[in-house]
Amino acid sequence: MLLIQFLIFPGFLFAATIGLVTSWIDRKVTARVQMRVGPPFLQPFYDIIKLMIKETLVPAGTSKWFFLSAPLLGITAVSLASLILWRVLLTPSQTFMGDLIVLIYLFTMPAIATVLGSFASQNPLASLGGSREMKLILAYELPFILVLLVPVIKLQSIRLGDILLGTAAVHSISGVLALLVAILCMQAKLTLVPFDMPEAETELTGGAYIEYSGPPLAMFKLTRAMMLFTLPIFLMTVFWGGIPFAQGWLPLFLGILKYIALVVIMVLVRNTAPRVRIDQAVKFFWGPLTIIAVLAAILAYLGW
Amino acid sequence: MEIFQHPFLYPILLPLASGLLCLLLPKILSRVSGWIAVIISAFTVYLVWPLFMSEPQTLDLIANFSFKVDKLSGFILLATTIFGFLISLYSLGFMKKKIYQNKYFAYLLWTIAAACGALLANELIILLSFWGFLGFTLYLMIALGGAQASSAAKKTFIIIGATDSLLILGIGLVWIITGSTRMDGLAIPLNHPHTYIAFLTFAIAAFAKAGAMPFHTWVPDCGEKAPTPVTAFLPASLDKLLGIYLLARTANDLFVMNWAMNTLLMVVGATTVLLAVMMALVQHDLKRLLSYHAVSQVGYMVLGIGTGIPIGIAGGLFHMLNHAVYKSCLFLCTGAVETKTKTTDMDKLGGLAKVMPITFICCLIASLSIAGIPPFNGFASKWMVYQGIIDAGKSSGGLWIIWLAVAMLGSALTLASFVKVLHATFLRKPSAEVKQNTIREVGLSMTIPMIILAVTCVLFGVLAYRLPLNHIILPAVKDTVAFTGIWWAGPATFLLLVGIIVGFVLYFLGNKGKVRMVSTYIGGESLPADEEVTGIDFYKTIQDINPLNALYKMAEKNFFDIYDVGTKFIFLFVEGLRHVHTGRLPWYLSWVVGGLLILLIFLRS
Repeated sequence: MLLIQFLIFPGFLFAATIGLVTSWIDRKVTARVQMRVGPPFLQPFYDIIKLMIKETLVPAGTSKWFFLSAPLLGITAVSLASLILWRVLLTPSQTFMGDLIVLIYLFTMPAIATVLGSFASQNPLASLGGSREMKLILAYELPFILVLLVPVIKLQSIRLGDILLGTAAVHSISGVLALLVAILCMQAKLTLVPFDMPEAETELTGGAYIEYSGPPLAMFKLTRAMMLFTLPIFLMTVFWGGIPFAQGWLPLFLGILKYIALVVIMVLVRNTAPRVRIDQAVKFFWGPLTIIAVLAAILAYLGW
Repeated sequence: MEIFQHPFLYPILLPLASGLLCLLLPKILSRVSGWIAVIISAFTVYLVWPLFMSEPQTLDLIANFSFKVDKLSGFILLATTIFGFLISLYSLGFMKKKIYQNKYFAYLLWTIAAACGALLANELIILLSFWGFLGFTLYLMIALGGAQASSAAKKTFIIIGATDSLLILGIGLVWIITGSTRMDGLAIPLNHPHTYIAFLTFAIAAFAKAGAMPFHTWVPDCGEKAPTPVTAFLPASLDKLLGIYLLARTANDLFVMNWAMNTLLMVVGATTVLLAVMMALVQHDLKRLLSYHAVSQVGYMVLGIGTGIPIGIAGGLFHMLNHAVYKSCLFLCTGAVETKTKTTDMDKLGGLAKVMPITFICCLIASLSIAGIPPFNGFASKWMVYQGIIDAGKSSGGLWIIWLAVAMLGSALTLASFVKVLHATFLRKPSAEVKQNTIREVGLSMTIPMIILAVTCVLFGVLAYRLPLNHIILPAVKDTVAFTGIWWAGPATFLLLVGIIVGFVLYFLGNKGKVRMVSTYIGGESLPADEEVTGIDFYKTIQDINPLNALYKMAEKNFFDIYDVGTKFIFLFVEGLRHVHTGRLPWYLSWVVGGLLILLIFLRS
């Protein structure tokens, strides 16, 4: 039963499908911003299928099994995260204690998988990309953890179910600040412009992914698409009341609308901002964003 | 002499006696000493097993000479002896060609004996005696590292010795306050300055042993200079077990904690977690890097015990056990790398994943464990510490938010640091010094301990509740621990494995498993062979940020080293007195006569 949930709904297949649809939204909006028509609806699916039947290339001198397992580590982790998250959304009262912490770790795993995969590539450009990715993780993790504590402070629980059933954090000043910081951290977690220095097509020619091809590359692309779907839902669950299923059609519709709004915001930011350098990113996350996050935590503690 | 037939005394006397035997063996039989150590340490495990299983019991040999075992000391006793055995087994391979084998195995057995003694003691004086002896064997074992290790050994001896002296003071105070030094009768409420001082001296002794800040500075020096198995056994596992044992004893049994002291523990814990891992991030030497992590992880244990509530304390103790497992595994992997490449400088390594696959996989598992990635054991115990911090925060102040944030950020930084290790040592292109085609995996006696420890990492994580918590950790905590809906580690691990297998099946379905090996693509250029990314300067960006760069510079100059600062202070203090020591006999004689005169004047009345 759990296995079916994991592989089909709400785990891998579900998250992958909606994730690819979301990446279509991303590409369509990007195209409109750039005055283009944009791809047809099924294009992201064709891309993945095409990659799956291509040949797999592995750099000589590396540990082959490790090189091929790295993408799988990421995609499995995000499938598991999706499973846990959707169980919370569907049955908020039946989740386990501390699932918030488990999810934080699972959402870091795809990035770690990218880093390990890039290191296994034995390519200097990939190494640089991997090291940037790792520094980026360090940078955004601090404000991200701090703002995730805001609802924890308010409700004195690290059970996501309790947080979902309690008053949504976004109805307070601290909650709004926290959500804003979290959206910027999400931008970096998805390595979207302005925080795409791990890939940096123009200087590192794909960086972390440079040696990947065929099915392993498809896995990385799928992982990214799934993250594009799961992360906004996670933020909504923590700060914004999630997607309510038990309250009739209108709240459900509003929930989906909120999700699409979050995605469109990210896409617009990525199309209008230039890439920053890695040291600028670290300073940005450890400086102003952390200060705002601390402020949000203090406000939450004071009950605002 | 039926007293000597008591099961409490065997684990102390047997290794002590056989250690002496090892020392007396002639040089020709030095291989025998290794086998003696392996057999005796295995036998010690067998001896302490009934003590671990038994209900709490005491042995009063004569007045003021009492031993006791309870659930807390029982499990640490068992862990200590098991680590002793694994390290003996590993050393058999590692020490093969070293000339100091006899001494090494003798000291190893003595350390096991003294550790058993300290854990079984029910009298503070006995505890102190064994504690002091442990400091001594620690000094001897570090000094085996040769001339370069002597300054590290001296530093260790002075820090440990000084804090042991404080412990003597504390025991004296306890005797003044209660009129007794019997441990099972003490429960001193913190209500008087004397009791605070006594508590602090106990805590400082525990901190120095475990390597918590600011008494940690001996750990990195020792890690870099001492023989690798010594580091894997002492600072990485045994001294953590003992230090945290003393801290847990002090905080749970000997004293009744209050808010201020708990907060003090939390401050020490959080500072240790964060600062030590920041230092680890910029290290170049594998052993030194691991040592800084050995310091950083102590912070989690102190945080757990500092919460003062059952789940936090259980988390702290569990983390202590887990840390001993994965950290010794990491050190043993380092030892394996060192045996084959003759270096632990990460600049000179690389590409070992292909030629030393067992070492690589053990190191990978242990790295993910220390970074607290689910489903490995580090996650289970850290999660309990987090839960403890939150539960403790419900009743006292808003400081818990800081502890929680620091603890979680510490995990991210730990991960970053180990990603660097994996890259520089195992994954990247081998450096010019590494001859990939001549390096083979290390021998069985070295791989078996690594594999056992790595498997334990997985088991303790996946079956956290069923195996270690239920049988070992929770009985050791005085109050019952409320566990409601622990996270499903078992199913999650199963799903992760299924995911990876399904992934490989998908690979195969996609292109029938066709894999072609190609050379790397670097923007169409071909790079000269010596051009490489070593990865050791990955975090230079972070080191260069204001105001972190200033702090790092100060740390490099040992500005935060209590030993360095202390010696400077003492030299300043005794500078005047030094001039008195001229080396001329008449001068000294006149001092003696002068002293005698003063004594006579005082004693006249």
